[in-house]
Amino acid sequence: MSFFGFDPAIPRGGGHPDKAPGFGAAPDPFAGISQHQGTGYEDEDAIDFDDTYDGLGDQLDETNDDLNDATFGGIEATTSTLSKPVGKDFDFHGQTAKVSNVINEEQFRYNRQHVSRKPQNLMKQTRPFKTGYEAYENPDYIPDLQVDVSSKGQTRTASGNVQASQSSSILSAVPQAAPAAAPARKMMSLEEVETAMRAQPKKSASVLTTQGRQQSQTMTYPNIPSAHAQHPLNVQSQSSAPVNLPPQQLSYQRASQNRVPLIPQQVLQAELPGQSVPNTARPGDAPQAQQRSQMIQQSSSQESAPHRQILQNPKRQSAQLAPRPPEPPLPPPQQQPRVFTTGAMGASQQLPIITHPQQLMQLSEEDRNAFLLEDAKRAKRNHKIYMLSRNNGLMTPQDKNFITRIQLQQLMTATGNTVEQDPDAVLSEDFYYQVTSQIRGGARQNPQQPLSNFAQTYLFQTGSRHGGPGRRQNRGGDNHMQRMEMQVQRAVEAAKAKPKNKQLVIEGSLGKISFSNAKTPKPLLNIKRNDSHDRPQSAGRQATSRKVLPAKLSISGRKSILRNIEAVYSTLMKMEDHERRLPAAPANEEQMSVAHHAWQEVMESLGQKLWDDLKVMDPIVEESSILHPFIAFLSYPKGKKAIPRIFRLLDEEKRLTILTMIVVHLNILDVIQNVQPGASGFRPSLVAREEVELFSQTVMPSLFAYVNEAPLQIVIGLLGLIVSRADMQVVLRTKVGLNILTMLLSRAELVKQSQNPSDQEWNQWVNLYNRFFDVIEPMLGIIFPGSVHDGQEMYVWQFLAATGIGANPDQQQRLVVAVKDRVMETVVQSKTLPPDMASQRLADVNLFMRAIGLDVDLLG
Amino acid sequence: MLFFSFFKTLVDQEVVVELKNDISIKGTLKSVDQYLNIKLDDIGVLEEVRYPHMSSVKNVFIRGSVVRYVHLPAAAVDTALLEDATRREAEQQATKPR
Amino acid sequence: MADAGDGDAAPVSEPLELVRLSLDEVVFVKLRGDRELKGRLHAYDSHCNLVLGDVEETIYVVEEDDEDDEAVKTIKKQSEMLFVRVGDSVVLISPQAPG
Repeated sequence: MSFFGFDPAIPRGGGHPDKAPGFGAAPDPFAGISQHQGTGYEDEDAIDFDDTYDGLGDQLDETNDDLNDATFGGIEATTSTLSKPVGKDFDFHGQTAKVSNVINEEQFRYNRQHVSRKPQNLMKQTRPFKTGYEAYENPDYIPDLQVDVSSKGQTRTASGNVQASQSSSILSAVPQAAPAAAPARKMMSLEEVETAMRAQPKKSASVLTTQGRQQSQTMTYPNIPSAHAQHPLNVQSQSSAPVNLPPQQLSYQRASQNRVPLIPQQVLQAELPGQSVPNTARPGDAPQAQQRSQMIQQSSSQESAPHRQILQNPKRQSAQLAPRPPEPPLPPPQQQPRVFTTGAMGASQQLPIITHPQQLMQLSEEDRNAFLLEDAKRAKRNHKIYMLSRNNGLMTPQDKNFITRIQLQQLMTATGNTVEQDPDAVLSEDFYYQVTSQIRGGARQNPQQPLSNFAQTYLFQTGSRHGGPGRRQNRGGDNHMQRMEMQVQRAVEAAKAKPKNKQLVIEGSLGKISFSNAKTPKPLLNIKRNDSHDRPQSAGRQATSRKVLPAKLSISGRKSILRNIEAVYSTLMKMEDHERRLPAAPANEEQMSVAHHAWQEVMESLGQKLWDDLKVMDPIVEESSILHPFIAFLSYPKGKKAIPRIFRLLDEEKRLTILTMIVVHLNILDVIQNVQPGASGFRPSLVAREEVELFSQTVMPSLFAYVNEAPLQIVIGLLGLIVSRADMQVVLRTKVGLNILTMLLSRAELVKQSQNPSDQEWNQWVNLYNRFFDVIEPMLGIIFPGSVHDGQEMYVWQFLAATGIGANPDQQQRLVVAVKDRVMETVVQSKTLPPDMASQRLADVNLFMRAIGLDVDLLG
Repeated sequence: MLFFSFFKTLVDQEVVVELKNDISIKGTLKSVDQYLNIKLDDIGVLEEVRYPHMSSVKNVFIRGSVVRYVHLPAAAVDTALLEDATRREAEQQATKPR
Repeated sequence: MADAGDGDAAPVSEPLELVRLSLDEVVFVKLRGDRELKGRLHAYDSHCNLVLGDVEETIYVVEEDDEDDEAVKTIKKQSEMLFVRVGDSVVLISPQAPG
């Protein structure tokens, strides 16, 4: 079909010049590529078009198309007239060279794509497989190549006109051959080309380079084997990246890139498929050899271009190269270079330069060296790129996306886990707040404030860090937080509730003795307030506060005790934390035993460490100037405070050991020693009294809880220790001392009431009690602190009551005699007090009175 | 973070903030941040006469760095827990710098 | 690496370890600006922010009277619970009040 008089069979002939201006006008590097590359296919497309043509074009009105030829030129005119002026008017090389590498690349790519897409086209070829060489079967392609060749020459010589004329002469020759059969055409065109080339120097003798080139071509003419050998080397140096490609393919690639006029050879091969005679051995191959040498020259001059291309886009090319199926058996002439290639592959890559004297001759010494260097560099880089890009294209973008997503997920899971796996870290960061708000529970004045703070904290720690995708983890974290909160609540409540729940209530024949009354908080607070006025007298306080510290304790001793205490606290906190990690009841027993065993082991080792830290078992050195470490431990407020927390983590035996330890050292306990009324009758210092209160609130309940469960034997043993070892005069004058005695005495009574101890045991107790009574009787006058007006003597009445219930009538009598004055004083004094205070005082006294079967009311 | 945690429990408590320029401001603690910047509501300056310019201010934001003391209600502080929290923080600090 | 870290970390954490020993003990704190505090240490952090209970603050003020005689006046203030924002104002923390 012919529109506007163009022959669709030779799109290239007119096509190239038509497109050529496009390079100059708008340097779209890809605009011409498909045209270039497509030449062959367009040819085939045209055939397809004919096959599928519906004849619509026939209906076109072609009436006034006659002048189209005048306007656009006829078939004959088109090729000759167009090519000539175009060659002159447009700088093909200048523009195309800039994009030549890209063009080559795209061309190659196009080849690849169309190889797979148009198998039916391939079938039309004499060759079984599409090689990208098909285009060259079209003789019309030659002009284009020739133009390229000339443009190459132009690069070096800048003699565009000469080249243009050269190419035009070739071009004009080609169309004439076009109608002929392929072999004939080939022979014709070869000769014509040769003629044209030979004629060229004559036409433009002034162009030295062209001349030189032609001469060198003739010179290389006999050196065909070397040219062949060098051909693959060229390939290698040019596109060394795809080293593992069949050289044949490389040569195709390069050939297509360079548009080397190998057509004659190709066609010849197509004509003689069975031919196995080496190219070089064929005498008739001279023109072909010349073409080849020319091509080599071109390719070597073009070497840098493909390199650049590879560098620019190595991935694409190799990616396209890699999946290519193995090449079918090659036509023999093609195979020969391949043999050379494989053999010469390992050879120095600088070889091409040596074998290109004709080219190097045109270069200056400097250029040559530079070229040499650059070539080596290029080869290296290309190899590197090849190594890097070897596996390119293995994965699709979707694959990569998928893997990236998996990696991101893992990353988020990992970071999310650091938060989740360590709720303790979160807890310790905000320990005070978390625990306090749990303790206070709903009692917060403004529940919104802490909650929103909490939410913010939580968001800050997890939400913002993980963003949206981490939402799943966030919910998990939420659960962790809640669980942790509950654990803390339990742990703290247990720790807090334990001592408080230990109501010191003894039921017995006396009725109720409430020890919690013994340390009513109100008087304590009163003391505090009263004494805060005394604070400015710091000198006196400092003196007494020194006394609190056992005088025997050196500074270093003090430091080591404090270290012990802090070590105890560290272990204590670890144990409490570990307690919260008690594995939740698992599904089956096996799991349970395993998890529990591990948990238990840790707990036990911590417990052992705690016990060691307490240093209870340090040997007791009689008459030592150094305080026993555990007693020293107890002399510090925080040591006392630790006792209830420690006690609940210890077994019975260890509790008893501690109790025994305290009883043995009762005399030298700070809470006893430091509150001894001085000779001057001054009251003990505020600090000392605070220590006593602290001891009563912390240590006593723990001891009491233990004694309350203890059998009579233990009570006997403890009281016996006190009676035999302690200085009763010291112990009796203190609240703590009296409390401990009260505790033991009342427990014995309780055991007697509830457990019916054996006579032997009970006799043992009675004997001990008698000894005890004999010891304390003379001291009963001094057990009351201060005067009757102080009103701080309830614990004394409790002690007297506890003593009274165990006493025989004779002892009760002696007891009444010993304290009767105080009873009377109190009764009298109570009458001067406000009713509620008075009744309290009388109730205290009555506790004792009832124990011995009396009542204050009887006193009137 | 110990004191941030600590102060959060004191929200809605009445405190006296003594600044490094000797002004003491009494007010209800409304919020605190990790820098221990403090927001007080219903404020009053203790020495009104010396600092009359504060008398019309109802609430303040105090930059943490200008605070000298904060006087707290002792009843609002759980000292045992606070000491434990301090121990935890100390142990954390001891292991952290590595 | 870990060993070296331990070696380095030990002396750094030591001073605060000493402060830790004074937890729940009465401490004497000297501040810049001629202020002293004495109270029970309930909390501290790595910046030496403190919480003290039952605090007595002593401020030493140098006053010049009419005859240009310099007299050191002490102002004492009490606080049941005091947060001390240190910045750089803590000079020393001593476990015991000086005699």
